[in-house]
Amino acid sequence: MNTRLTVLKTVLWTIVGVLAVVTLARFFRGLGSTTGLTDLAPWGFWIAFDVMAGVALAAGGFVVAAMVHIFGRQAYRPFARPAILTAFLGYVAVVVGLLYDLGLPWHIWHPMIFPQVGSVLFEVAMCVMLYLTVLALEFGPVVLEHPLLQQSPFVEIAAILKWLTIPLVIAGIVLSTLHQSSLGSLFLIAPYRLHALWYTPIIWVLFFVSAIGLGLMTVVAESFFSAAFFGHRLRMDLLSGLGRAASGVLFLYAGLRLADLTLRGLLGSAFDGSWQAYLFWFELLMSALVPATLLAVERVRSSAAGLACCSLLTILGVAGYRFDVCIVAFARPEGMSYFPTWPELAVSLGVVSAMVLVFIFFIENFRVCEHEPEESEQPAARPLSPLDPYDPGTMICLLPDSIRAPRRYSLAFVVGASLAITMLPDDALWGAQAKGQQVSPVRAVDGLITKRADAPGHELALATHRPLVKPGAETAPLLMIDGNRDGRLVLFPHKSHISRLGEQRSCARCHHQNMPFDRNTVCWQCHRDMYSTSDIFSHASHLEKLGGNASCLRCHKNSREARTRKTATACRECHKDMVVEGSFVKPPEGGVAGLACGYLDAMHKLCIECHERSVQEKPNEYTALARCATCHRGLGGPVLRQMPPYATDLQPKPEHDARPPGR
Amino acid sequence: MTDTWGILTDITLCTGCEECVKACKVENGLGCDVPRRWKRRIDDLSSTRHTTIVRQPRDRFVRQFCRHCLHPACASACIVGALRKTPEGPVVYDRDRCMGCRYCLMACPFGIPKYEWESPVPYVRKCTMCHHRIVKGRVPACVEACPEKATIFGTRSGLLAQAKNLIQREPRRYLPRVFGEKEVGGTCVLYASGIPLDFLQFRPEVKETPLPELTWAALTKVPPIVVGMTGLMAGVWWIIGRRMQLAREAAREARSASAGASPAGEKDEEKTA
Repeated sequence: MNTRLTVLKTVLWTIVGVLAVVTLARFFRGLGSTTGLTDLAPWGFWIAFDVMAGVALAAGGFVVAAMVHIFGRQAYRPFARPAILTAFLGYVAVVVGLLYDLGLPWHIWHPMIFPQVGSVLFEVAMCVMLYLTVLALEFGPVVLEHPLLQQSPFVEIAAILKWLTIPLVIAGIVLSTLHQSSLGSLFLIAPYRLHALWYTPIIWVLFFVSAIGLGLMTVVAESFFSAAFFGHRLRMDLLSGLGRAASGVLFLYAGLRLADLTLRGLLGSAFDGSWQAYLFWFELLMSALVPATLLAVERVRSSAAGLACCSLLTILGVAGYRFDVCIVAFARPEGMSYFPTWPELAVSLGVVSAMVLVFIFFIENFRVCEHEPEESEQPAARPLSPLDPYDPGTMICLLPDSIRAPRRYSLAFVVGASLAITMLPDDALWGAQAKGQQVSPVRAVDGLITKRADAPGHELALATHRPLVKPGAETAPLLMIDGNRDGRLVLFPHKSHISRLGEQRSCARCHHQNMPFDRNTVCWQCHRDMYSTSDIFSHASHLEKLGGNASCLRCHKNSREARTRKTATACRECHKDMVVEGSFVKPPEGGVAGLACGYLDAMHKLCIECHERSVQEKPNEYTALARCATCHRGLGGPVLRQMPPYATDLQPKPEHDARPPGR
Repeated sequence: MTDTWGILTDITLCTGCEECVKACKVENGLGCDVPRRWKRRIDDLSSTRHTTIVRQPRDRFVRQFCRHCLHPACASACIVGALRKTPEGPVVYDRDRCMGCRYCLMACPFGIPKYEWESPVPYVRKCTMCHHRIVKGRVPACVEACPEKATIFGTRSGLLAQAKNLIQREPRRYLPRVFGEKEVGGTCVLYASGIPLDFLQFRPEVKETPLPELTWAALTKVPPIVVGMTGLMAGVWWIIGRRMQLAREAAREARSASAGASPAGEKDEEKTA
């Protein structure tokens, strides 16, 4: 039995198990909770790897088809079928990857009914769709050769397909030329975002030429794969021929790229010492210059190790080119970096694994490779003996492999799926959560109050805030309300509110809480998060106060209902004086309590309602009282950052701002 | 070209009161801003905030929203025509066509279209210049709400003349250019400003070429590539096939001429081919 292949298949099935779980998370919880994508990095790993690199990797299909059928290089015929199968599965992987990436994948057919000839993406979509059809027809004869299909309609179809070979090959070449290059043209629309070392009007030529080089090296890599797992013989003479062709194509690619930069006068920016310049050289050396130089040497390209290294370098390098264009060299403002999450990587890896499994299935069941492995490696060829199904050590009956294999792979699948469930990020399980923003307490500051000249009311300013100091200003203590310290604070004249709302008795109008033994509970003890509600109900302390487990029925009165917050007795049934008389705060509707709304909502509701009422009652006196700007006066962030509380708050952050632009 | 509607914002008049933001939220039913992983600040443009105030040093406030380009990159990029430039001026979005490829987010030079990342059924969200109000003869909600008359609505050519007039009358108050007059071929949204507005785009300098022209230059090469490639491949196939046929016939003749000679010559030829 071929143990190496069995291990490979087991690993692949495990990854497919992970894929299954991540798929559910992706489609039920959305892109935001499973990927690292943002509005400023809208295309991430799935587009760069599955689509951009995937299409380029599958270029081997049309390159080999052209060599064999058009240029008459019959010697390379053994590569044709595996290359076309790889291309077909590669494009299926592209489409499947795209289904994960599209926000509304069930609309993937829309380009067919809403054609937009001005969109490059439309051209790419049409070409990929047509080419996938062409590849299916090119590969059709291989499936139709199967003994099961040697009957009436299938034989005729196979004959027609065989007759159509040359038109299909030519159509495949034309479609490939178009979309391999157009994937580059996609980025022509973004001259202000793609870095100058990558943005060029001939980017589509570079994409096409690099795809041919990569396609040739993928065919080589595939031969090594077949040799490692199926024991197929390596045709070193043919492979080194492919290597020589790839060398020329890669030199052409590197030459075009450098010549283009030189002609447009941008070669200098490749030596300016920025990280993009280093990245550019690293990528160009890895994708083209190093493998092309090595492959030009006869000794390297006729050795298996040399060829394998070069093909790995090219694959990583040209895929890296796609990544750089799509993600790394694509400008983003500071502080908005993109890094793929593990579910993103798992989807890409999982789709590739699934395609490798299908590839193995075709190799095992159809005549894809024209040179068959030696008979001795086939498990069926082993002579059967009566002792065979027993393990010699334990004498346990062993099941035949036809039953054992599915069991092993199912187990691998389940193990993969369970691993994925345990590792799934919280967001992917429960949906994207809002980021928590703890509230900071209100502080007392020295302020200035100026009577407005043009309108009724007063203007408030910080004593340290020089630009707003005006003649006739009086100093006064103010409260600075700035829950999340983002510089959009409100200066609150506490004293004038006291006098306006009725001196001592007015406290309860805003300070509504009446906790047992309460002295002065500050707002942020309950309204703990800036934007989202926080739970303020302590079950444990209620249990303790009311008498342990015997007290459940005090709140959960109906024993037949589930004991939840919703079915429990409302808080104010017991805490009748929780909201005091004359308060601006109204008790929550429906009586469900124990949840405090976000700090922002609490403050706004308390202030704005009262302000709006004042405007309605005395429209002449309070003209603009209900406007945001009345309280949020123009206290710009940059000024505040120089002031004491902000200056200290912001100190640990500089390294965050020092990130290179664009990452 | 017929004139379109536009919005002119005078940065020197804006007090940053955010009444426009409030009006936009009410008009379009956008709901609360929530702090998310994909936002830097709570008041960044997002799927729940189509316009926002960018605070600049020395109490300058710049309203950021869709520029409604005359040649919009987003609409030219859109694969299904979900984003569309209307004859009235606004660039609008049709959610029933969208397939969620997010090429518009990649294409926009101002980073305007935003995505509903939190939703399993996400749509692109952006300012539509209240197209539904314009067609009924009303002004956009943000313009209506502005208490300082810092952002005004009108025909683009009228606003442009008005902005130039303002700048000419008070050259010390404004920079000597109308932002949006020429960038990427001109935008319906114009700014008269005393400070440079380069922070509203990804690169400080933006040229006058409309972005759709750049991709169109590549797209016009599609028909010649189709014809040329098909012709080339068919030609090569025919010539090489013919040469191989001739070589085979020549070899057969040579063999029949010297019967008994080994067919090694033919094999060699195949290998070198």
